[in-house]
Amino acid sequence: MSHAVTADSHGHAHDAHDHGPQGILKYIWSTDHKIIAMQYMFTGMIMALIGGFMAYVFRMQLAFPGQSVPGFGVVSPGEYNSLVTNHGSIMIFWVAMPVLIAAFGNYLIPLMTGADDMVFPRINRLSYQIFLISAILIIASLFVSGGGFGGAWTAYPPLSSMSEYSLTKLGSSMWLLAVALEFVAFLLGGINFIVTLMNARAPGMKAYDIPIVCWMIVIASILFMLSVGPLIAGAVMLLFDQMIGTGFFDPTRGGDPVLWQHLFWFFGHPEVYVVLLPAIGIVIEIIATFARKQLFGYKIILYTAIVTGILSFFVWAHHQFIAGIDPRMANVFTVTTLLISVPIAEMMFVTVATLYGGSIRFTTPMLWALAFVAEFLIGGVTGIFLGASGSDIYLHDTYFVLAHFHYTFFPIAIIGTFAGFTYWFPKMFGKMMNETLGKIHFWGTIISFNFIFIPLFFLGIGGQHRRIYNYENFPDLIAGQPLRVVATVAMLAMLAFQVVFFINLFSSLKSGKKAGNNPWKANTLEWTTTSPPPHGNWPQDEMPKVYRGPYEYSHPDRDEDYWPQNLPS
Amino acid sequence: MSGHNINYKKIYYTLLVLLVISVAGPFLGIFWITMLTAFGIALVKANLVIQNFMHLREERRIIKWILVTSLVLMALMVAGVAPDVYKHDGQNWENIAAKAAVARGIDDGAADHAATDDAAADHADEEADNSSVASGFDARGAYNGICAACHGTAGDGAGPAGGAMNPQPTDFTDAAFWADRDDARIFNVIKNGAAAVGGSPSMVGWSTTYDDEQIEGLVQYINSEFRPH
Amino acid sequence: MKPLATTRSATGIPTGRLAIWWILASEIVIFGGLIGSYLMFRLGHPEWADAAAHTNTWIGAFNTFVLLSSSFTAVLAHQAAEKGEGKLAAKYLSFTILGALTFLVVKSFEWASEISHGYTITANGFWSFYYTAAGLHGLHVIAGAIIMAFIAKDAAQNKELHRVELIGIYWHFVDVVWIFLFPLLYIAK
Repeated sequence: MSHAVTADSHGHAHDAHDHGPQGILKYIWSTDHKIIAMQYMFTGMIMALIGGFMAYVFRMQLAFPGQSVPGFGVVSPGEYNSLVTNHGSIMIFWVAMPVLIAAFGNYLIPLMTGADDMVFPRINRLSYQIFLISAILIIASLFVSGGGFGGAWTAYPPLSSMSEYSLTKLGSSMWLLAVALEFVAFLLGGINFIVTLMNARAPGMKAYDIPIVCWMIVIASILFMLSVGPLIAGAVMLLFDQMIGTGFFDPTRGGDPVLWQHLFWFFGHPEVYVVLLPAIGIVIEIIATFARKQLFGYKIILYTAIVTGILSFFVWAHHQFIAGIDPRMANVFTVTTLLISVPIAEMMFVTVATLYGGSIRFTTPMLWALAFVAEFLIGGVTGIFLGASGSDIYLHDTYFVLAHFHYTFFPIAIIGTFAGFTYWFPKMFGKMMNETLGKIHFWGTIISFNFIFIPLFFLGIGGQHRRIYNYENFPDLIAGQPLRVVATVAMLAMLAFQVVFFINLFSSLKSGKKAGNNPWKANTLEWTTTSPPPHGNWPQDEMPKVYRGPYEYSHPDRDEDYWPQNLPS
Repeated sequence: MSGHNINYKKIYYTLLVLLVISVAGPFLGIFWITMLTAFGIALVKANLVIQNFMHLREERRIIKWILVTSLVLMALMVAGVAPDVYKHDGQNWENIAAKAAVARGIDDGAADHAATDDAAADHADEEADNSSVASGFDARGAYNGICAACHGTAGDGAGPAGGAMNPQPTDFTDAAFWADRDDARIFNVIKNGAAAVGGSPSMVGWSTTYDDEQIEGLVQYINSEFRPH
Repeated sequence: MKPLATTRSATGIPTGRLAIWWILASEIVIFGGLIGSYLMFRLGHPEWADAAAHTNTWIGAFNTFVLLSSSFTAVLAHQAAEKGEGKLAAKYLSFTILGALTFLVVKSFEWASEISHGYTITANGFWSFYYTAAGLHGLHVIAGAIIMAFIAKDAAQNKELHRVELIGIYWHFVDVVWIFLFPLLYIAK
């Protein structure tokens, strides 16, 4: 799919640089950062559809327990566990990460820093290929004997380590291998992003001239790189526990299951910020462009992002308040967790301050960006109840956690992605998207999203546990059934509205209005080249130079309300 | 980078001398000297290699920051995890399994030293202890480990996880249950799940965990232990 | 053809070397997670000392010697590459590869002997960590030796000489990891 789409948009690329494989192979073996970005983007979208289908199946089971789900059949308890586990894993590791970091990082970092490609194009291609193998492996794990892994995306032992409990000997190991491979892919990709931004910037581009989104993706890559190591070591240990019977996490043999929880969350919490920061970066780019106003507090955002990154290493155990950690540690982690809301809130204020007094244009990307701020706010505020160990003891493992989580990750992974995709679509494919269809898609998605997850907050406070397959077995919880039906119907509506997006995508690709180089009148360097950019991004003798920061909108000395970074003053 | 003024040969010989010291340290038999020669010298050696062979001393400051940050993060991780993993006691909690493992290990170790330190024999002992698990299928263990969670160790359907289920888990001690059941049907339910015969989907199939022979053993166990006569 | 981006250097550090340092940072946290877990278990389980007593310090010391020597030849290769003497650099690199192979051969005999005595990876927690940590390190030795063989082949023809330094930095890191594994697994009994 990705190859077909990119084929016509990059068709002229080989005119300039006649080397390497030709034909369709060019799109599979290409080292061009834009093609790799599209590969990540469309693989991520396909994985999102798979993850969305899983959500559809288990939401149907929850609303109408025991009945045959159209397109799937009757859901057995084992299948239910496997569906929720793989929905979580796929949406985080195979949708949020590849789209937000890998796709946007690959596409934007060289273009925004005025480089012709990543510094290591072949490692970049290798990173995608490993990622693709991991994606195939996770899907294959659903169809092996015993079914896919069903021990939740956190994979706590002993459920994950002993097949006597999980009943999915092969599925668990394939899941773990797929996750480990995915980590390797993003380590390779992350090194590329970091080094490209550090070394390959255009002449004249100083640290504070770098667009925020590039900073965010690179900070996220650093967070990922420094947090994932212990989990890779833990994954090796867990794999040995599963496959050759060591006892790293088996307390009866001198191991400790709590160690896995720590290793997992030492990665798992920074991981939240790994996907959050790029999404905030995208939103800030869009808000600055469409508010037609200089970004309020460039340095504030940069520093708060760094502070967030540092603090994110100090909060991991708030996931384990009732999972067997020393209660005294819970006090420490409560304080750090409440602290980390400060820099994130600061970023939200910056977006609001940028909007204040701007001449705002409500294009589709701008709507998505504003929705991100509003919806993420709900996610952030409900997080306070979970970060404080006292209230977390009551709310832990209820639907409240689940709703909070989706109020953070849906804005990040879906709203952030749509914002970025609709904003850079003209650059990626040279065509404009249809605004009417875009707005229908936007309002349909946002309204149905709130109808899915607001009911779940109430269910959670009402004591509904997360990991229950059929609530009819619990007389106390049957009363919540209407709310579950509301959530499921809203989710069906949301899935239906995605059809609008795909219609818009394909019709715009085919017959969209031609986009010029700079349809949004933005300042950053990617808008100075043609849409779509050629291989090498700019002609070799016209590589851009940078003279100013990226957000010089409505400068009083200029007639035009924007001032591209590459114009000499 | 050019013009390193480092005498690599000198560094190399220093490293070898340090290696000899670190091996010789334990022969004195003094605990803190062993620790010092083991880890103190490891730090010195690592520092020599990093500064001179990897030329970190001539590298830009940012590289040093990157490496120090990753080391500090590891120290942070250990500090956050150690209260739970290294310690076996805390405020209102105790890690019974870990303490038992330590006690068992120290006993084994004592026996190990007494028995002329023959590791192979020690290993054979261990094998013998586990023979019942390794060679034959332990139906009682399997029942108590897996089935009893819902069906109860007494087979009365009152296991800790079964209380909330609707319908309730089967009570094997109930004569009415046995009126229309035969072994083949119980076998089928254990193997393929109760949904296969129209029962509750909460009773899942166990064919991936147990082979036919083992399921047969479970059927026999249920028959002999719980069936009212 | 190399992209223009690869030749830029806004930080003043060559791109390849900057990337190698970042790779090492990510390796530090992988080995740090494993060694950190080992330390916590080892301190919490005094009975592991009995298992540790069965490791062979002499073999460990010999392998340390081998790795230190291979690091020494790697740095000599770097020195030769800086002077533009590709052939000499390739020769020193092949000594380093030889060191890697010696290390692996000694290691496999050591493991075979331990396994035949019943000290398998599942025997107890100490042996689990022993094989996992040394095995992960061994994988790095194998990977390093293979990459070094390719670089030595290029270097012999005076091509891509800057890569000699990069593989050298990686190799010294593998050496440093072993410098810590040696006391952790062999000396501290």
